[in-house]
Amino acid sequence: MINMMKADLYRMSKSKGILFFWLFTIFTYSISIISKSYGGITLEGMYDLPENIKTDIGQLTMNSTFYFLLIMPVFGVITSEFGEHTLKNTISSSVSKRLYFMSKFLFSLLYSTVSFALANYIYYAVNRLVNGSEYSSVLKDFTKAFLTQLPIFIAVISIFSMFAFLLRKGAIYNAVTISAPIVCTMISQLMMSINTEKEFLKKIRDFGIKSVSYGVETMSARIIFDTSDDYRSNCYIICIMVIVFSFLLGYFSFSKRELD
Amino acid sequence: MQEIILQTKKITKRYRKFCALKQADMTVYKGDIYGLIGRNGAGKTTMMKIVTGLTNQTEGEYSIFGKSGKSAESEKRRIGCLIENPAFFGGLTAYQNLKYYCYQKGITDLKQIDNVLSLVNLSDVKNKKFRKFSLGMKQRLGIAFALLDSPDLVILDEPINGLDPIGISELRKTFHKLNKENNITFMISSHILSELYAVANRFLFIDKGKVLKEVTKQELDLECSRCLVVRTNDTKKTAMLIESKLGIEDYKVINNDEIRIYDESAKPDVINKMLICENVEISGIYESGVSLEDYFKQLIGEEN
Repeated sequence: MINMMKADLYRMSKSKGILFFWLFTIFTYSISIISKSYGGITLEGMYDLPENIKTDIGQLTMNSTFYFLLIMPVFGVITSEFGEHTLKNTISSSVSKRLYFMSKFLFSLLYSTVSFALANYIYYAVNRLVNGSEYSSVLKDFTKAFLTQLPIFIAVISIFSMFAFLLRKGAIYNAVTISAPIVCTMISQLMMSINTEKEFLKKIRDFGIKSVSYGVETMSARIIFDTSDDYRSNCYIICIMVIVFSFLLGYFSFSKRELD
Repeated sequence: MQEIILQTKKITKRYRKFCALKQADMTVYKGDIYGLIGRNGAGKTTMMKIVTGLTNQTEGEYSIFGKSGKSAESEKRRIGCLIENPAFFGGLTAYQNLKYYCYQKGITDLKQIDNVLSLVNLSDVKNKKFRKFSLGMKQRLGIAFALLDSPDLVILDEPINGLDPIGISELRKTFHKLNKENNITFMISSHILSELYAVANRFLFIDKGKVLKEVTKQELDLECSRCLVVRTNDTKKTAMLIESKLGIEDYKVINNDEIRIYDESAKPDVINKMLICENVEISGIYESGVSLEDYFKQLIGEEN
């Protein structure tokens, strides 16, 4: 497994696909640092931020931008193997399908998480250097906020890895992962718009209202400030369930289906 | 007794209602260059995919290097493969692609990359991106990949596809050299009979998922060489008579009603006359000599 990860790291170092990840990150962060305010791509979120938060912590609340950026490393690690049909080289003469899946799933988690963390900490360092302590928090507070939020993105990367093994084709993978939050929001809104006195439908509406609190953007922003045990533990339980479910579904789909 | 490298027993593979392989038996011995001959869609690739773990058989079992089931997984490192089209990362060069697989297989001596690239004459273009390779170059890189980890068994699916005649001839020499000097066992599939004949020493004929025949090169030569076919209802007496009366020793009893005489001096009219005089019933006597293609057609015809 270590050999496979080493090989993947070598390949990713030669890949140009990941450049877009960094270019877009640098572009977004540059604007934030220059304008001394936080920003990025927003999804449908429902949360209130406290006033007077430092720019770097504010930027962490906008990390849902990474939902779209993290599609790329997983694409590079897993989907490209299906696209180029290179996985048959590995499975026919190096490892079993089980080891192949575990290694790819784990590597895409590690690689994407490290990229995500690196981007955040580079932003933190540059922001502190350029804008000083007036606009940046101390490292300990930033790290605490970052780590609080991290499990959400690990769950997101797990879902992407599952989709990569499930869908295999790059175009479908991109279409599904990009449109997933939009579809989820539409479903939530549809459930929220139910206006009836029927008990069953009211439960669906309540579920719709509740589900908005656990969307990627809401969770990644709210979890930093919402210190209520209930919300945080609910978020973490959801993350763990998502990671386990993604791993199992991805594995069973990959091991049962024929390779092209 | 020769060591068995690969053996399949009653392997069957079904894709829903379509049966790609039917109860296929095959034995590859150490040092063989084993040729898998069949038309497109005969089941050659399916057989190769099963023994390399790319797909699972529906029924039957196989063993590699004496190990079967889950324990066969550990022997994968001893196999080098090129199944179907060669597939590599288009954005990486030939060298980078092989370096990727070196890391993956834990090969620490990167000189091995240059060695295999020179074996397939790709040293000059090792820094060219794979996507810019011609079909023949891709094929050769696929063969280089199969040889990368100094395997004991090399499985190549249609390796000469897209190669020019000189390339084919060079590759044939490389296979022979690796087989003789490094004792590498090869299993090669092709639908180009003449090419496979030039390189292999044992053959498996396969059609519509069914194994038709497994023969050595000597047996194949014997079956295809020019001969006189005598069809009779008493092969035992006929054999005894042609040996004692005509002094012919170079013959073979094929089955209950067929004898093949390979002695070039044998004359059909003389044999015919002698057998009639000895009251042997003859249903036919004729000259035969089939090409590999005709032989294969015959085999398919017999099955159909």
